[in-house]
Amino acid sequence: MMLKTRRMLLTALLALFSVCAAADPEIIVVCYPGGYVNIKDANGAMNAMLRVVERVGHWPENSFDSLFTAKTDECRKLMAEKNPKFAFTSLGLYLELRGQYHLTPLVQPRIQGRSSERYRVMIKKDRYLSLDALKGKTLGGTVLEEEAFIGKIVFEGKYDLANFFILKPSNQAIRALRSLDKGELDAMILNEQQYSGLVSLHLDSALATVFTSSEIPLIGVVADTAITTPEERSRFGDALSEMCGDAEGNKLCELFGVESFASVNVAVYEPMVKLWGEGK
Amino acid sequence: MSMPVILAGCPGLTRDNLELGALSGCPSQTAAMLAENQSQPSALSDTPVLFCNLNVLRDSQDKSAGVSALGSRLCLYLAERETNPEKREKLAVEGVNFAEAALRQGGDSGVVHYYLALNLGLAVRDHIILAMANIGRLENEMKRALALSPEIDDGGPLRILGMLYLKAPAWPKGMGDRDKALELLERAVKQYPGHPLNHLFYAQALWDESDETVSPKVKDEIALGETLLAEGDWGYSKTPWKIEFEAFNQEIKEAGGN
Repeated sequence: MMLKTRRMLLTALLALFSVCAAADPEIIVVCYPGGYVNIKDANGAMNAMLRVVERVGHWPENSFDSLFTAKTDECRKLMAEKNPKFAFTSLGLYLELRGQYHLTPLVQPRIQGRSSERYRVMIKKDRYLSLDALKGKTLGGTVLEEEAFIGKIVFEGKYDLANFFILKPSNQAIRALRSLDKGELDAMILNEQQYSGLVSLHLDSALATVFTSSEIPLIGVVADTAITTPEERSRFGDALSEMCGDAEGNKLCELFGVESFASVNVAVYEPMVKLWGEGK
Repeated sequence: MSMPVILAGCPGLTRDNLELGALSGCPSQTAAMLAENQSQPSALSDTPVLFCNLNVLRDSQDKSAGVSALGSRLCLYLAERETNPEKREKLAVEGVNFAEAALRQGGDSGVVHYYLALNLGLAVRDHIILAMANIGRLENEMKRALALSPEIDDGGPLRILGMLYLKAPAWPKGMGDRDKALELLERAVKQYPGHPLNHLFYAQALWDESDETVSPKVKDEIALGETLLAEGDWGYSKTPWKIEFEAFNQEIKEAGGN
């Protein structure tokens, strides 16, 4: 009798454990090309975010784990090796990999009230009159880590980047800006977040914008439609959409500079897909 | 582990002290006596002695002890040795409390700011949201320490501020700035060459720059730091610092460096 009771207790405990603990966490690949980020800290922040997603979406704790990279080559490798159901990618990587991994955008971040951004080419004020005047000159920037994206989407295929500019990719925006300030670089390309951050810097020279891109939609999380069900995608997307409204999740959203994640209308990316396909 | 939000000054830090329990063998001493001989508690002091000292300071109204960095420093030594994360955080937060009390009483010395920042860093290091919420204050306290007393702890303010700029998220999201990090850590090595961590941290900044190739300079700095660590009397700090050197050597090895 005693033995039977023990067995029942053990069975109950094992059953409880199987509900509470995820066996193999689902890997979420996080690609942040061009950023200067401490990988350990980035994974720490992502995992804190995933704990909230799990709670909000009613998954057992540690159902998900993240793998972070700031390098595009590494991202391609992780996508191939891990074959993730969900990934955080840049728009450039989404456009490049969407066919290969059947990717569809799930949620779109909202940053400073906007779900799109513009890229800008900055120069020292009055040094050049137009973008065309920068032919053969040096162009720096962290976003050059995704050269194809800048050429095809930001410049809409109008410039053959590698031949038009002397490209100086950097993983530190602030260092590239200092080079621009000192005249070591002729121009620098900035994304919206970097452009907004210029006011906080104290550069010696006044800067001017010589090129502003069209509005480009932001992208957040994508899913592989070949290995996820519509229910899984909906559940993951809903959990992300709720995250910034959660007390703890809100702090993480602030940390990432995101106001919210919203369900995405895939049609907003269609012009980008077209440009990418036409791109030179 | 939950961290109740109690204090406004340091967002999100709990404020209840670690229970010390019954301490045995403590000498009969007063806070005034400890304040007179502030150099005595150090990284070389035994842990029970530090707990005895802390116990005395907790109930003290002594002005000279109150304005000094003594309480904050004791807490830091104890927190650095504590392996239980919850206890470590409590000790570090108490160190922040001591330093804040000293500042309120007019003890605006570089040492007070220095230990405030170190304790604060230790208290929040395992909590990313707390760390980000407090990182600005950490920078300001360490800058103040650097301005007032750059010599503390063999260039401690240069060393810690340098690492803060090396590890923090980069502009425009954060204050991280490798140029500043390199400048400060190079100064730390040149002006205070006797501290092993100055060489380790400078090597880490150089390595961070080198895109996974180990320059002779990185190797030289590691070797110099390891020699200083092996030959010096660093007390209870020796083991954790040795682990830091080993971890960095391992990181280099895994990245394909020699």
